[in-house]
Order: sequence, then structure tokens, then C-alpha cells
Amino acid sequence: MNETPRVLNRVLLTLIGLLLIGVGATTVALAAVPALAGSWHALTRGAGAGIESVLDATTLPGQRDSWLWIVLALVMLVLIVLMIAWVAQQGKGRVGTLAADYNDDGGPGAVELGSAVAEQALKAALLEREEILHATITTYVFRGTPGLRIRVLPRKGVPPYLVAEQVSDLVEALDLVIGRETPVVISIGTSARARLGRPERVH
Amino acid sequence: MSGTDYREDYDGRASAYEAGDRLNDRLALRETRSSRAPAAIVAAVLVSLICLYILLEAALKAIGQPAWLLEPRDFAAWLNQLPENVPTLILGTSGVLILFAGLFFFLQGVLPGHLHRHVLPSRRGIAVVDDEVLASSLALRARTRANVTEEQVLVTVSRTLVEVQLRPTSGIPVEESAIQSAVEDELQRSYIDPMPEVRVRVSTSGVVGQ
Repeated sequence: MNETPRVLNRVLLTLIGLLLIGVGATTVALAAVPALAGSWHALTRGAGAGIESVLDATTLPGQRDSWLWIVLALVMLVLIVLMIAWVAQQGKGRVGTLAADYNDDGGPGAVELGSAVAEQALKAALLEREEILHATITTYVFRGTPGLRIRVLPRKGVPPYLVAEQVSDLVEALDLVIGRETPVVISIGTSARARLGRPERVH
Repeated sequence: MSGTDYREDYDGRASAYEAGDRLNDRLALRETRSSRAPAAIVAAVLVSLICLYILLEAALKAIGQPAWLLEPRDFAAWLNQLPENVPTLILGTSGVLILFAGLFFFLQGVLPGHLHRHVLPSRRGIAVVDDEVLASSLALRARTRANVTEEQVLVTVSRTLVEVQLRPTSGIPVEESAIQSAVEDELQRSYIDPMPEVRVRVSTSGVVGQ
């Protein structure tokens, strides 16, 4: 639950993959089938002549090289910026505000609830329990609304539906305190400590 | 309150509930599938490096300086002469490497990328559980039912199948159907949908001295 652009990731990865597959397949074909060399020469010679004539046409009088090189440099600059922006989008969406109320009730100011309120209350309540080894609570924005992501690492052998139920109870109690229902993701996982630690005793 | 008012109110609530439901469905889908962030970062860095090099050479050309590593025209001529000016083995190997890199990115983009997780029903929001946690709870149930130690049970959970391998203590027979029903009962309590198939294998050789 964050704002990683998953569809964009997949579309761009597919495009880059197809491009590389095209280049690789051409190279393999050239290496494996000597008969292709003749048509490859003809094809690239034609393309080279085309590029050469475009470059000649765009060379200003008195200049040595075409101004297309400047355009190419600028396009590359834009592409690099776009790639950096793409990387910056990954895993984005962590926020410090769980709920905000800007409804104008006549009084000055607004009410904002920091995400630490929910995070620390839930964490303290979860770590009191014997069967839960560790809990991490973070607040992420998803589709414009802040939501809680609760990662719980129970002791080995604890039934996950019981853990989910207990966390749901705590979240419902939190709803009453905060006064509104935020989206919640409960993720139950395991860690090295759970794997090596002693299993939960049967009560 | 007139009848129409009531209906409007009811419809409003119903659509709000549906919107919440849709959000939860989307969240469940996101939690059980890979975001492809690592592959995206690798691809972005790769493309940036290539662009950076082309940027450098193009900028040098634009200000009329000699090229840094490769004169663009020389490179074009080299491309034109391709199969003859490089040993076939090197050309073929590099082609295969590029092909595999492309296949990796393409499959990352196209395959669903299921994570090893199951969705549990939950009163509030959504709950997902790693298969490993589910497996350890099923193993605990199976071994208390069979009365064996932790090392004698191995449970693997995949998306549609739960496999239980059990080595009984020598001389103490273990009933396969009892283990099967215990594990199925535990799964039913979790309300995992669709319910995975349970396969129990009790090995014929026992463990001594447990």
C-alpha cells in the first residue's frame, strides 16, 4: 500500500525488454546466419545515407556540424530527468498525517492528527501480546487517503487468523479514538527471530 | 421521511460501501503481487547511463570538439560492417546476453508476479499472510495431532496446494486421514478463499528415539 506506479513500471519494463530483445535477436541473427550480412549492409547503408542527408540539411551555413546534435543532447537530458523521476516514484507515499479536518466551523485553525498517534498506540498494544514478536506500523497515502499498514511478525506456529482478528480488534478500538475509519492493511509475516525462536506453547 | 428520501439515503450508503470494497479489492491485489520496483530501478539506471553517454558525445559534437570515446560516424560505419569485423563467437555471445537481459525485463513486465501470500478475510481493511506463517501454524496443528516433534513435520504452502510431509516416531502409527482433517480444519478456520488442496504424506520409515 503505497504510491508506486505499478502500471507504469510494467509498461516501461515491457517496452525496454522488447527493445533489448530486438537488439539481441538482430545481433544473434547476424552472428548465426552469414547470408543475412548482405541485406544488413544494404539496410544500414540506406539508413546511414538518410541520416547523413538529414544532417547536411540541418547544418547552418558557416557551421561545421548540424544543430540536430544539440537537439539530441537536449532529448537525452530530458530522458535522464524522466528516468530519475521514475526511480523517485518507487515506494513513495509515506506521510506524517493520518487525518486532517479543515472543515470550517467558524473557529480559527484546523485539526491534524499525526500518524505517530496511531502508529505508537497500535505498536504499544501489539507488543504487549506474548505471541507477537514485532510490529511495524507505517502510514501511507493510497488514492489520496492516508491508510495504515500494519506489519505483524508473530511467533512460530501462531494461527494467522487469530492474529488478524486481534489486530482488527485493536484497529476498531483506534477507530473509536480517532473518530474516522482509515483504510487498513494487516500484513502477517515472519522473520529470522520467529524462525529461530521457541514456538508458541499450546495453552 | 418520505419513501424517496429513504431510498436516496440507502443508495448513498450502498455506494459508499461498494467504494470501500473496491478500494479493499485493489489493496488486496497490490499486497499479493510484486510492484516490480527493483527491476524498474535497474532499468532506469541502465537507460540513464546510456543516455548520459550519448548526451556527452552529442554535446561534444554540438560544440565542435573531438569525440571522447567513439566518433558517431565511425560507430555507424562499424555497425554497417557488422558481421565481418567482430569474431562470430563474441558477436553471438553478446547478442545472447542482450537477448536474455531483454527477456528478463519483458517477463518482469508481463508476468503476474504473485507473492507467496494469501488474503484472509478481516472485519477491518484487508489482511494478508505470508505463506510461511500459514505453513508454521498448519505444522503446529499437524504435529500436535500426530504427537510428534517439530523436526518430523514439513509443511509447504503454495497458492493452491498445501503439502504435509510427516515422519512418524518408530512404533507409533500415525493415521493419515486424522492429520488431513486436522489440517483442513485449521485451513477452514482461516477462511482462505479459494481453499487450497491438502495433501498429506506419512513416510513409511519412522524416526527412532523421539
